[in-house]
Amino acid sequence: MDYMAACKLLGSYGIRAQRSRYARDSEDAVRFSAGNRIVIKAMSQKALHKSRSGLVALNVSGEGEIRKRFTMLEKRAAKYRPFKILVQDMVPFSEKNVEIIVGGNEDSQFGKMILLGLGGIYVEAFRDFSLRACPITRHDAESMIDDLRAKDVIAKDKAAREMVTGLLLKVSRMLSGDNGIKELDLNPIILHDGTYSPVDVRVLR
Amino acid sequence: MMEPKSVAVVGASDNPKKIGHIILQNFIDMGYSGKLYPVNVNSTGHISGLKSYRKVSEIGNSVDFVVIAVPAEAVPSVLDDCGTARAKSVLVVSSGFSEIGNTTLQGQLARKAGKYGFALLGPNCLGVMNMRSRINTMFLPLYKLDTPKLGGVSFASQSGAIGSTVMDMVANEGFGIAKFISYGNAADLDEVDILDYLSKDEDTKVVIFYLEGVKRGREFLEAAKRVTKRKPVVVIKGGMTAAGAGAVHSHTASLSGSYEAYKAIFKQSGIIQAESLDDLLGFAKVFESEEPPKGSSVAVITNGGGAGVLAADAIYNNGLVIPQLSKSTAKALRKEMPPIVNIRLPLDIAGDADDRRFEAALNAIGSDPAVDMLMVISLFQTPGADSSVAAALINYKSESRKPLVVVSPGGSYTLEHRRMMESSDVPVYASPETAARALAALYRYSKTKGSARKNEWQ
Repeated sequence: MDYMAACKLLGSYGIRAQRSRYARDSEDAVRFSAGNRIVIKAMSQKALHKSRSGLVALNVSGEGEIRKRFTMLEKRAAKYRPFKILVQDMVPFSEKNVEIIVGGNEDSQFGKMILLGLGGIYVEAFRDFSLRACPITRHDAESMIDDLRAKDVIAKDKAAREMVTGLLLKVSRMLSGDNGIKELDLNPIILHDGTYSPVDVRVLR
Repeated sequence: MMEPKSVAVVGASDNPKKIGHIILQNFIDMGYSGKLYPVNVNSTGHISGLKSYRKVSEIGNSVDFVVIAVPAEAVPSVLDDCGTARAKSVLVVSSGFSEIGNTTLQGQLARKAGKYGFALLGPNCLGVMNMRSRINTMFLPLYKLDTPKLGGVSFASQSGAIGSTVMDMVANEGFGIAKFISYGNAADLDEVDILDYLSKDEDTKVVIFYLEGVKRGREFLEAAKRVTKRKPVVVIKGGMTAAGAGAVHSHTASLSGSYEAYKAIFKQSGIIQAESLDDLLGFAKVFESEEPPKGSSVAVITNGGGAGVLAADAIYNNGLVIPQLSKSTAKALRKEMPPIVNIRLPLDIAGDADDRRFEAALNAIGSDPAVDMLMVISLFQTPGADSSVAAALINYKSESRKPLVVVSPGGSYTLEHRRMMESSDVPVYASPETAARALAALYRYSKTKGSARKNEWQ
């Protein structure tokens, strides 16, 4: 499913995604940036791991730098045609940021399942995740957090715990909804400054 | 099926090698008191000394339960005959259905059960055992496996071989069985029906389950949630294959394979998953005799220092804690214990501890409000421990409300005392690790029960 359409779908269930849009050209990317730090990504169905394929430029700012990185990504993405270039607000780097994954898929036996885990590059390395069948209750959502070895990292205080619980309940509602979703990856979602920012969204129908 | 007033055995025979013969003979040997009808198409009037029939519909009287032990191809026509005879329930022990790819034949079984409105168990299974009504359809000669005593644990098994093996093991574990159900290919009655039945069954205090897969995933989840509100369910899951690595589109799909989904469903429904047959039995044992604890603290009393250290490690490794004794408990212990005993948990009451010292330690520690559960390590190799210690533990257990387990590793002298205690409903374990895992399971279940009320839909 198209990235922007997926973000819109998330929005209809009250799940916010990081501000993004497709850029026609490097000038368009500069306009989107409006002086702020941005992320530039080449989006293609043929590249599952964007960062591993070198299709992501993080923390880009300044007109010259944006133009340069934009052109470079276009070149690298050439072998994954067709592609689009997405620009996105950069979540400010901080050592306190935590990356999580929230996902969903369809189990042949139990139907829609929802997943929570330590996200980003740690997903495959630590395999620290918990799973439940949808729809989940508040108790289920909280026990999903408690099942993780990284529970104190993800829910470091009451507010963070409440935020992740709320997010899980919304995603469960979305997965249980009549919208044809088969698989969902919100990975990573960056927890920072008391909020959450899904910076990559993948929806399969 | 579990409390039939009349039973017909189709395929009954005087030939001792036939399964139908063994089943009929087991009914006779177990002392089944209802009406028993041998049925065989070639019957000449009597089988095993009982009047026999060629068809179920020839019996004339109503039949509550028909056990079918004939070759697979002959089963559909026997089912038609059961329909004509208005039988209430049917068990097909025969194999040769979906387990060898013969799904068409198995489909016929399910359709006929629906058409005639009887419940059908099997095919490809050992059937049922009800210790109270003396029903046993297991076609294994009774001398080959021990029969468990009557008790509160019911066991359901997809696999017949695991079923009979576990029953044999249970008979030597010192706890009792209420119902045994081996359901095989589940053409009609499946996991969901069995959970619902055992949930309502008053003889069943604990459910243990050997499961390879379920037929109706969502219904299973709902049924499991219902039953775990009433009684503990322990499952061992066979077939831990991960999802194939190919054709995976997302991180979520690559993580959440079929086995992970089962694990999630067990957690979500409050089912306790055992990782081994040893744990399955160890958990069943503690659930049968102990009530859920109020909290996660375990006091260890031991007559050997090293075993106490191992126990403390096992307790923490399983997410439980060792509490601080209150001042009044410590004071009481100081008065009762010899000077060599250090007053702290794990309480090492030393190798010369006799029944009186065990008793004094138990009385003081057991009444401490900071203590939720008790683990008593009684090493019978020590100079002080003998039958009087076992008797003291039995005595204390009969009065104590708090969950208590005993750990006694060892050889034949120890085994004798283990049996002695287990026959008096004291759960005994061969190692601190298995005991700690059992207590952790008991604690986990106390949380499931506690949260059942809170777990309303949002």
